Amino acid sequence: MTDRIPDAVIANPTSRYGDAKASTRHFITQRLTGAINIVFVGFLAFIVLRLAGQDRPDMVATIGNAWVGLPLAALLLVVTIHMRNGMRDTLEDYFHGAAYQRYMMLNTAFCILIAVAGVAAILKLVFWG
Amino acid sequence: MVELMLPKADRPAKGKTWPKPANAQRLREFHIYRYDPESGANPRIDTYFVDLDDCGPMILDGLLWIKNKVDATLTLRRSCREGICGSCSMNINGLNTLACTKGMGDSAGPIKIYPLPHMPVVKDLVPDLTTFYAQHRAIEPWLKTTTPAPEKEWTQTSPQRAQLDGLYECILCACCSTSCPSYWWNGDKYLGPAALLQAYRWLIDSRDETTQERLDNLEDPFKLYRCHTIMNCSKACPKGLNPAKAIAQIKKMMVERKAA
Repeated sequence: MTDRIPDAVIANPTSRYGDAKASTRHFITQRLTGAINIVFVGFLAFIVLRLAGQDRPDMVATIGNAWVGLPLAALLLVVTIHMRNGMRDTLEDYFHGAAYQRYMMLNTAFCILIAVAGVAAILKLVFWG
Repeated sequence: MVELMLPKADRPAKGKTWPKPANAQRLREFHIYRYDPESGANPRIDTYFVDLDDCGPMILDGLLWIKNKVDATLTLRRSCREGICGSCSMNINGLNTLACTKGMGDSAGPIKIYPLPHMPVVKDLVPDLTTFYAQHRAIEPWLKTTTPAPEKEWTQTSPQRAQLDGLYECILCACCSTSCPSYWWNGDKYLGPAALLQAYRWLIDSRDETTQERLDNLEDPFKLYRCHTIMNCSKACPKGLNPAKAIAQIKKMMVERKAA
């Protein structure tokens, strides 16, 4: 391990190593989105099984139904928030300092890209067919 | 950045095979990690043979038999030899435990003994626990009060005292913390299961009056939230304690505080 923190700092009860204010919020968000994902992924699996073997117009008709499309869009949002949080945990484990900031920025950009592209595609089917 | 391989200078090589004791009927083979930083050489794994008819039944008995009768340079910590002091914690056959409470008969084949994983080694089976103790210091393991001290003593009811069961028994052997992959990765920032178990012990002590301050000090993405519920700590604890549950309770207190 490189750049180990001095023991005097470690022994200090008030030492901080990250964004303290956000840490519990991140934990709550991760658990909350994880729990929501269980329900939503079940719904997604049901839709995928329902559409198995059907052609494109059937698929468009199903996803284009607001009762199906809008929950799927919400699922994508929740999944990408969960994904970003989970990746943050992993990146914090392996990278520090500037490298961590760089990878975290890429992580955020990737999650936003997935969310925007996915939600836009679903909303197009819902509102414009 | 994290290192996935041991540096070349730290990789153990095959060491010396010590002669078998003369006229021994029942032998047990020990493979023991040896390292002397003053020698400048790589660590090595030495092989010893213990005469079971001349030795007690525990691994610590075997180690002391080797030290007394074969190789006096073998270095290890030990004190109480009955699972109270936590001095003889080491990695035995892949599991962190106490050499004094682990029987030689608990496993078949050669007994492989290493120091506690991912800690700097002072010599042979003696790890440097300075950081581990600094982490214990960081959770302030003593009663903190704000009201004037009573004339006689701070009192507790029996149910309040019972809440400390399963927590106060920790002997700080470091078996749990050094079995935790999160602690291996971030051993300087993550407090580790042992320190967090003790943190919870003081958080729920009915006599302590600084719970919020203690929670403030723990609220950090590394100090507390590096616990990913891997549960190695609870599996390793030679006293049968459950640090993972204590950490989950601290997280629960954090969430409740945030939601309030």
